[in-house]
Amino acid sequence: MSESELGRKWDRCLADAVVKIGTGFGLGIVFSLTFFKRRMWPLAFGSGMGLGMAYSNCQHDFQAPYLLHGKYVKEQEQ
Amino acid sequence: MGGECVLSDSGQEAPRSTWFLQGWKASRMFLIKGSVAGGAVYLVYDQELLGPSDKSQAALQKAGEVVPPAMYQFSQYVCQQTGLQIPQLPAPPKIDFPIRDSWNAGIMTVMSALSVAPSKVREYSKEGWEYVKARTK
Repeated sequence: MSESELGRKWDRCLADAVVKIGTGFGLGIVFSLTFFKRRMWPLAFGSGMGLGMAYSNCQHDFQAPYLLHGKYVKEQEQ
Repeated sequence: MGGECVLSDSGQEAPRSTWFLQGWKASRMFLIKGSVAGGAVYLVYDQELLGPSDKSQAALQKAGEVVPPAMYQFSQYVCQQTGLQIPQLPAPPKIDFPIRDSWNAGIMTVMSALSVAPSKVREYSKEGWEYVKARTK
């Protein structure tokens, strides 16, 4: 893995972690205000879930350097 | 005897219509809360915020492009409506310091110094010993 590719992976990991932790925190706030009587545990739960998902994504990204990210395209019948 | 009655907290009989109204209010509140929570979950699912890392990176980049102009327009609108001047935040300083290059250069300097340290210590010790021998003669 070249240094530039490694740098790109680290950038992607950090951005992913920020988005996932923020999303988990936001969903925790929504559920805490609507269903759980303004308790703190939904916020901690959501943030923790986001952090775990980001860590798992980063781990998969670093451990699979030769994996290409692609999309599955259905064959169109002629 | 017409109508079914329900006992209230004071022990007096409450009419069925009051019971139905309270139930309707509670279910309406639950519907509103459920709609808000469901809308938040759908928004997260639609934007794929909890999906692959490249989608999250694209969402963060899009947010970085959209949020500052929106904040500026909102501050302008508030200023027009209320006359209050919301101070604009200064732009973040652009740090042009190459952290990666400096770190790599530092590591290489430290490692090269450690690799030549034994030979340098031997050389300086030898010179010091020669100097002491010359002074004691």
